[in-house]
Amino acid sequence: MATTISRSSILQPLRQTLTRPVARQPRSAFIASASRSKASIAKPNQTTPASVPSDEALTVPFPMRHEVHPEEPAIRLPRSVQSLYLQPLRREANYGVPTCDLQLRSYSVPNLEFFCDFALRAAYYLNLPAFGPVPLPKIKERWTVPKSHFIFKKSQENFERITRRRLIQIRDGHAESVQIWLAFLQKHAYYGIGMKANVWEYSKLGVGKEMEGQGQAMQEVIEDKMKLLGRDKTEGTVQKVQELLESERFRIQG
Amino acid sequence: MSMFRSKKMDIGSFLNIHVIRDHTKRKVYAQFEPERQALRHIIRNTTLPARTRAEAQLQLTQMHCYTRPTQIRGRCLMGGKGRGIFRDFKLSRYNFRMQALEGNLPGVRKASW
Repeated sequence: MATTISRSSILQPLRQTLTRPVARQPRSAFIASASRSKASIAKPNQTTPASVPSDEALTVPFPMRHEVHPEEPAIRLPRSVQSLYLQPLRREANYGVPTCDLQLRSYSVPNLEFFCDFALRAAYYLNLPAFGPVPLPKIKERWTVPKSHFIFKKSQENFERITRRRLIQIRDGHAESVQIWLAFLQKHAYYGIGMKANVWEYSKLGVGKEMEGQGQAMQEVIEDKMKLLGRDKTEGTVQKVQELLESERFRIQG
Repeated sequence: MSMFRSKKMDIGSFLNIHVIRDHTKRKVYAQFEPERQALRHIIRNTTLPARTRAEAQLQLTQMHCYTRPTQIRGRCLMGGKGRGIFRDFKLSRYNFRMQALEGNLPGVRKASW
Protein backbone atom coordinates (compact mmCIF):
# COMPACT_ATOMS: atom_id res chain seq x y z
CA MET A 1 0.00 0.00 0.00
CA ALA A 2 2.75 2.39 0.98
CA THR A 3 4.58 1.86 -2.29
CA THR A 4 1.56 2.49 -4.48
CA ILE A 5 0.66 5.86 -2.98
CA SER A 6 2.36 8.54 -5.00
CA ARG A 7 4.77 10.78 -3.20
CA SER A 8 2.96 13.87 -4.31
CA SER A 9 -0.32 12.81 -2.79
CA ILE A 10 1.33 12.43 0.61
CA LEU A 11 3.41 15.54 0.28
CA GLN A 12 0.58 17.83 -0.57
CA PRO A 13 -1.28 17.70 2.72
CA LEU A 14 2.04 17.70 4.54
CA ARG A 15 3.03 20.85 2.77
CA GLN A 16 -0.23 22.46 3.75
CA THR A 17 0.40 21.73 7.38
CA LEU A 18 3.88 23.19 7.03
CA THR A 19 2.65 26.35 5.40
CA ARG A 20 -0.22 26.75 7.84
CA PRO A 21 0.55 29.55 10.31
CA VAL A 22 1.56 28.41 13.78
CA ALA A 23 -0.92 30.67 15.57
CA ARG A 24 -4.49 29.62 15.00
CA GLN A 25 -6.64 31.94 12.93
CA PRO A 26 -10.16 32.83 14.02
CA ARG A 27 -12.62 30.04 13.53
CA SER A 28 -14.09 31.36 10.29
CA ALA A 29 -10.63 31.58 8.73
CA PHE A 30 -9.82 28.06 9.87
CA ILE A 31 -12.93 26.71 8.17
CA ALA A 32 -11.93 28.48 4.98
CA SER A 33 -8.45 26.94 5.03
CA ALA A 34 -9.92 23.54 5.74
CA SER A 35 -12.31 23.75 2.82
CA ARG A 36 -9.48 24.89 0.58
CA SER A 37 -7.42 21.86 1.53
CA LYS A 38 -10.37 19.66 0.73
CA ALA A 39 -10.60 21.11 -2.75
CA SER A 40 -6.90 20.64 -3.39
CA ILE A 41 -6.92 17.07 -2.13
CA ALA A 42 -9.84 16.21 -4.36
CA LYS A 43 -7.84 16.78 -7.58
CA PRO A 44 -4.27 15.61 -7.14
CA ASN A 45 -3.66 15.43 -10.91
CA GLN A 46 -3.48 19.19 -11.24
CA THR A 47 -0.68 20.05 -13.72
CA THR A 48 1.89 22.71 -12.94
CA PRO A 49 1.61 25.95 -14.87
CA ALA A 50 4.24 26.48 -17.60
CA SER A 51 5.53 29.74 -16.16
CA VAL A 52 6.92 27.99 -13.07
CA PRO A 53 10.57 26.88 -13.57
CA SER A 54 11.14 23.15 -13.81
CA ASP A 55 12.39 21.03 -10.92
CA GLU A 56 15.85 20.66 -12.41
CA ALA A 57 16.31 24.45 -12.32
CA LEU A 58 15.77 24.52 -8.58
CA THR A 59 18.64 23.46 -6.36
CA VAL A 60 16.40 22.22 -3.58
CA PRO A 61 17.32 18.53 -3.09
CA PHE A 62 13.82 17.57 -2.07
CA PRO A 63 11.27 19.20 -4.36
CA MET A 64 8.44 20.58 -2.30
CA ARG A 65 6.38 21.62 -5.29
CA HIS A 66 3.60 19.49 -6.60
CA GLU A 67 4.90 17.05 -9.17
CA VAL A 68 3.01 14.43 -11.12
CA HIS A 69 4.56 11.47 -12.86
CA PRO A 70 2.32 10.13 -15.58
CA GLU A 71 3.21 6.51 -14.85
CA GLU A 72 2.25 6.83 -11.15
CA PRO A 73 -1.41 6.06 -10.48
CA ALA A 74 -3.14 8.83 -8.57
CA ILE A 75 -4.27 7.12 -5.37
CA ARG A 76 -5.91 9.19 -2.71
CA LEU A 77 -5.02 9.05 0.95
CA PRO A 78 -7.18 6.89 3.21
CA ARG A 79 -10.39 8.67 4.12
CA SER A 80 -9.52 8.65 7.83
CA VAL A 81 -6.26 10.48 7.11
CA GLN A 82 -7.91 12.89 4.69
CA SER A 83 -10.56 13.75 7.24
CA LEU A 84 -7.89 15.11 9.59
CA TYR A 85 -7.57 18.08 7.24
CA LEU A 86 -11.30 18.72 7.28
CA GLN A 87 -13.86 19.74 9.85
CA PRO A 88 -14.71 16.93 12.30
CA LEU A 89 -17.54 14.66 11.22
CA ARG A 90 -20.70 14.45 13.30
CA ARG A 91 -23.38 11.89 13.98
CA GLU A 92 -27.06 12.72 13.65
CA ALA A 93 -29.16 12.84 16.81
CA ASN A 94 -32.56 11.21 16.41
CA TYR A 95 -34.24 12.29 19.62
CA GLY A 96 -32.07 15.13 20.91
CA VAL A 97 -32.05 13.99 24.55
CA PRO A 98 -28.99 15.45 26.25
CA THR A 99 -26.90 12.80 28.02
CA CYS A 100 -23.61 14.56 28.72
CA ASP A 101 -22.39 18.15 29.03
CA LEU A 102 -18.62 18.45 28.86
CA GLN A 103 -17.11 21.77 29.75
CA LEU A 104 -13.52 22.48 28.76
CA ARG A 105 -11.58 25.34 30.31
CA SER A 106 -8.23 26.81 29.48
CA TYR A 107 -6.26 30.04 29.52
CA SER A 108 -5.05 29.55 25.95
CA VAL A 109 -7.30 29.46 22.91
CA PRO A 110 -5.19 27.26 20.56
CA ASN A 111 -4.96 24.42 23.06
CA LEU A 112 -8.66 24.63 23.74
CA GLU A 113 -9.66 24.65 20.08
CA PHE A 114 -7.36 21.73 19.38
CA PHE A 115 -8.74 19.63 22.19
CA CYS A 116 -12.35 20.44 21.27
CA ASP A 117 -11.59 19.21 17.78
CA PHE A 118 -10.07 16.05 19.23
CA ALA A 119 -13.09 15.46 21.49
CA LEU A 120 -15.51 15.87 18.57
CA ARG A 121 -13.58 13.37 16.44
CA ALA A 122 -13.47 10.90 19.31
CA ALA A 123 -17.23 11.29 19.76
CA TYR A 124 -17.81 10.60 16.06
CA TYR A 125 -15.87 7.35 16.14
CA LEU A 126 -17.70 6.27 19.31
CA ASN A 127 -21.00 6.84 17.49
CA LEU A 128 -22.01 9.70 19.76
CA PRO A 129 -23.88 12.69 18.35
CA ALA A 130 -21.89 15.69 19.62
CA PHE A 131 -22.92 19.34 19.51
CA GLY A 132 -20.62 22.28 19.89
CA PRO A 133 -18.15 23.54 20.78
CA VAL A 134 -20.33 26.30 22.23
CA PRO A 135 -18.17 29.21 23.41
CA LEU A 136 -19.34 30.07 26.92
CA PRO A 137 -18.69 33.49 28.49
CA LYS A 138 -15.07 34.18 29.37
CA ILE A 139 -14.16 34.40 33.06
CA LYS A 140 -12.07 37.51 33.53
CA GLU A 141 -10.16 37.97 36.76
CA ARG A 142 -8.26 41.20 37.23
CA TRP A 143 -5.77 42.32 39.84
CA THR A 144 -4.32 45.77 40.34
CA VAL A 145 -1.09 46.10 42.29
CA PRO A 146 1.10 49.09 43.14
CA LYS A 147 4.31 48.94 41.12
CA SER A 148 6.48 49.65 44.17
CA HIS A 149 6.18 51.02 47.69
CA PHE A 150 2.94 52.47 48.91
CA ILE A 151 4.10 56.09 48.64
CA PHE A 152 4.09 55.61 44.86
CA LYS A 153 0.50 54.35 44.94
CA LYS A 154 -0.28 56.49 41.90
CA SER A 155 1.59 54.17 39.53
CA GLN A 156 -0.09 50.78 39.50
CA GLU A 157 -0.13 47.81 37.21
CA ASN A 158 -3.04 45.67 36.02
CA PHE A 159 -2.93 41.93 35.55
CA GLU A 160 -5.63 39.68 34.26
CA ARG A 161 -6.36 36.02 33.76
CA ILE A 162 -8.98 35.07 31.21
CA THR A 163 -10.44 31.59 31.36
CA ARG A 164 -12.02 30.50 28.08
CA ARG A 165 -14.71 27.87 28.18
CA ARG A 166 -16.21 25.57 25.60
CA LEU A 167 -19.21 23.31 25.97
CA ILE A 168 -19.63 20.05 24.09
CA GLN A 169 -22.97 18.35 24.45
CA ILE A 170 -23.67 14.71 23.68
CA ARG A 171 -27.26 13.86 22.79
CA ASP A 172 -28.80 10.41 22.59
CA GLY A 173 -25.57 8.83 23.77
CA HIS A 174 -25.51 5.38 25.28
CA ALA A 175 -24.46 5.73 28.92
CA GLU A 176 -21.62 3.26 28.52
CA SER A 177 -20.14 4.84 25.40
CA VAL A 178 -20.36 8.26 27.04
CA GLN A 179 -18.31 6.85 29.90
CA ILE A 180 -15.81 5.44 27.42
CA TRP A 181 -15.60 8.78 25.64
CA LEU A 182 -14.94 10.63 28.92
CA ALA A 183 -12.34 8.08 29.97
CA PHE A 184 -10.64 8.37 26.58
CA LEU A 185 -10.50 12.16 26.88
CA GLN A 186 -9.14 11.85 30.38
CA LYS A 187 -6.49 9.40 29.24
CA HIS A 188 -5.36 11.70 26.45
CA ALA A 189 -5.78 14.88 28.49
CA TYR A 190 -4.02 17.83 26.90
CA TYR A 191 -1.82 20.19 28.90
CA GLY A 192 -3.42 23.29 30.34
CA ILE A 193 -6.99 22.13 29.87
CA GLY A 194 -9.49 21.41 32.61
CA MET A 195 -12.56 19.29 32.01
CA LYS A 196 -15.77 18.74 33.88
CA ALA A 197 -18.77 16.75 32.80
CA ASN A 198 -22.39 16.48 33.81
CA VAL A 199 -23.82 13.09 32.87
CA TRP A 200 -27.49 12.12 32.75
CA GLU A 201 -28.75 8.58 32.59
CA TYR A 202 -32.16 6.98 32.17
CA SER A 203 -32.83 3.72 33.98
CA LYS A 204 -35.62 1.49 35.19
CA LEU A 205 -37.72 2.02 38.29
CA GLY A 206 -36.21 0.93 41.60
CA VAL A 207 -32.81 2.54 41.09
CA GLY A 208 -32.53 3.26 44.79
CA LYS A 209 -32.64 -0.37 45.81
CA GLU A 210 -30.16 -1.34 43.14
CA MET A 211 -27.74 1.36 44.24
CA GLU A 212 -28.14 0.35 47.85
CA GLY A 213 -27.04 -3.16 46.91
CA GLN A 214 -23.96 -1.82 45.19
CA GLY A 215 -23.25 0.70 47.94
CA GLN A 216 -20.99 -1.53 49.98
CA ALA A 217 -18.74 -2.33 47.06
CA MET A 218 -18.68 1.26 45.81
CA GLN A 219 -17.75 2.66 49.20
CA GLU A 220 -14.08 1.73 48.88
CA VAL A 221 -13.78 3.26 45.43
CA ILE A 222 -15.45 6.46 46.59
CA GLU A 223 -13.27 6.64 49.69
CA ASP A 224 -10.14 6.37 47.56
CA LYS A 225 -11.29 9.28 45.39
CA MET A 226 -12.53 11.42 48.26
CA LYS A 227 -9.20 11.10 50.02
CA LEU A 228 -7.68 13.23 47.27
CA LEU A 229 -10.27 15.98 47.54
CA GLY A 230 -10.33 18.75 50.11
CA ARG A 231 -13.54 18.79 52.08
CA ASP A 232 -14.88 19.91 55.41
CA LYS A 233 -13.63 17.30 57.79
CA THR A 234 -15.35 16.93 61.13
CA GLU A 235 -14.30 13.35 61.48
CA GLY A 236 -14.24 11.97 64.98
CA THR A 237 -16.47 14.67 66.46
CA VAL A 238 -19.20 12.24 67.44
CA GLN A 239 -16.77 9.89 69.16
CA LYS A 240 -15.16 12.87 70.86
CA VAL A 241 -18.52 14.05 72.24
CA GLN A 242 -19.18 10.63 73.70
CA GLU A 243 -15.68 10.45 75.12
CA LEU A 244 -16.02 13.86 76.75
CA LEU A 245 -19.43 13.13 78.26
CA GLU A 246 -18.10 9.91 79.76
CA SER A 247 -14.92 11.53 81.06
CA GLU A 248 -14.21 12.02 84.76
CA ARG A 249 -14.64 15.75 84.65
CA PHE A 250 -18.14 15.60 83.18
CA ARG A 251 -19.32 12.63 85.22
CA ILE A 252 -18.71 14.33 88.57
CA GLN A 253 -21.23 17.00 87.53
CA GLY A 254 -24.05 14.50 86.92
CA MET B 1 4.40 28.22 71.19
CA SER B 2 7.55 26.19 71.02
CA MET B 3 5.97 23.12 72.64
CA PHE B 4 3.82 22.63 69.54
CA ARG B 5 6.61 23.35 67.10
CA SER B 6 7.98 20.35 65.22
CA LYS B 7 11.57 19.39 65.97
CA LYS B 8 12.49 19.16 62.32
CA MET B 9 11.60 21.72 59.66
CA ASP B 10 8.57 20.52 57.76
CA ILE B 11 7.84 23.32 55.32
CA GLY B 12 9.64 24.30 52.17
CA SER B 13 8.53 27.88 51.64
CA PHE B 14 10.23 31.12 52.58
CA LEU B 15 11.18 30.86 56.27
CA ASN B 16 11.05 33.28 59.12
CA ILE B 17 9.59 33.03 62.60
CA HIS B 18 6.18 34.34 61.52
CA VAL B 19 5.88 31.68 58.84
CA ILE B 20 6.92 28.90 61.23
CA ARG B 21 4.48 30.17 63.86
CA ASP B 22 1.59 30.28 61.40
CA HIS B 23 2.42 26.82 60.12
CA THR B 24 2.46 25.48 63.67
CA LYS B 25 -0.91 27.08 64.38
CA ARG B 26 -2.41 25.41 61.35
CA LYS B 27 -1.18 22.00 62.42
CA VAL B 28 -2.36 22.44 66.01
CA TYR B 29 -5.77 23.61 64.86
CA ALA B 30 -6.15 20.55 62.63
CA GLN B 31 -5.11 18.28 65.47
CA PHE B 32 -7.58 19.71 68.00
CA GLU B 33 -10.47 20.34 65.65
CA PRO B 34 -12.58 17.31 66.71
CA GLU B 35 -12.26 18.29 70.35
CA ARG B 36 -13.26 21.88 69.69
CA GLN B 37 -16.23 20.79 67.61
CA ALA B 38 -17.31 18.28 70.29
CA LEU B 39 -17.21 20.94 72.99
CA ARG B 40 -19.11 23.39 70.79
CA HIS B 41 -21.70 20.70 70.18
CA ILE B 42 -22.11 20.04 73.91
CA ILE B 43 -22.43 23.77 74.63
CA ARG B 44 -25.17 24.24 72.04
CA ASN B 45 -27.07 21.03 72.84
CA THR B 46 -30.04 22.15 74.96
CA THR B 47 -31.02 18.59 75.86
CA LEU B 48 -27.92 18.21 78.02
CA PRO B 49 -27.91 19.36 81.67
CA ALA B 50 -26.87 22.97 82.24
CA ARG B 51 -23.89 21.99 84.38
CA THR B 52 -22.42 19.82 81.69
CA ARG B 53 -22.78 22.62 79.19
CA ALA B 54 -21.16 25.08 81.57
CA GLU B 55 -18.32 22.64 82.10
CA ALA B 56 -17.85 22.36 78.35
CA GLN B 57 -17.77 26.14 78.08
CA LEU B 58 -15.04 26.24 80.67
CA GLN B 59 -13.04 23.60 78.89
CA LEU B 60 -13.35 25.37 75.59
CA THR B 61 -12.12 28.65 76.99
CA GLN B 62 -9.23 26.89 78.68
CA MET B 63 -7.96 25.39 75.42
CA HIS B 64 -4.74 26.81 74.05
CA CYS B 65 -5.07 29.80 71.74
CA TYR B 66 -3.18 27.89 68.99
CA THR B 67 -6.19 25.60 68.64
CA ARG B 68 -8.39 28.49 67.45
CA PRO B 69 -9.03 28.88 63.73
CA THR B 70 -8.93 32.67 64.05
CA GLN B 71 -5.22 32.50 64.77
CA ILE B 72 -4.49 31.31 61.26
CA ARG B 73 -3.47 33.99 58.80
CA GLY B 74 -2.53 33.81 55.16
CA ARG B 75 1.16 34.48 54.63
CA CYS B 76 3.17 35.04 51.49
CA LEU B 77 4.86 31.87 50.23
CA MET B 78 7.85 33.74 48.87
CA GLY B 79 8.31 36.59 51.32
CA GLY B 80 6.49 35.59 54.50
CA LYS B 81 4.56 38.86 54.55
CA GLY B 82 1.28 38.85 56.43
CA ARG B 83 -0.56 41.67 54.67
CA GLY B 84 -1.71 42.25 51.13
CA ILE B 85 -1.87 38.57 50.24
CA PHE B 86 -3.82 37.35 47.21
CA ARG B 87 -5.72 34.25 48.22
CA ASP B 88 -5.69 32.93 44.65
CA PHE B 89 -1.91 32.72 44.62
CA LYS B 90 -0.91 32.89 48.31
CA LEU B 91 1.51 35.63 47.37
CA SER B 92 1.93 39.19 48.56
CA ARG B 93 1.24 41.91 46.04
CA TYR B 94 4.90 42.57 45.26
CA ASN B 95 5.82 38.91 44.82
CA PHE B 96 2.68 38.39 42.77
CA ARG B 97 3.79 41.16 40.42
CA MET B 98 7.30 39.72 40.10
CA GLN B 99 6.02 36.22 39.38
CA ALA B 100 3.37 37.47 36.95
CA LEU B 101 5.93 39.49 34.99
CA GLU B 102 8.22 36.48 34.82
CA GLY B 103 5.33 34.38 33.53
CA ASN B 104 5.35 31.88 36.37
CA LEU B 105 1.64 32.18 37.03
CA PRO B 106 -0.33 30.31 34.35
CA GLY B 107 -2.67 32.52 32.37
CA VAL B 108 -1.80 35.75 34.19
CA ARG B 109 -0.70 38.54 31.87
CA LYS B 110 -0.56 42.29 31.77
CA ALA B 111 -4.02 43.66 31.19
CA SER B 112 -5.04 46.63 29.12
CA TRP B 113 -8.58 47.44 28.25
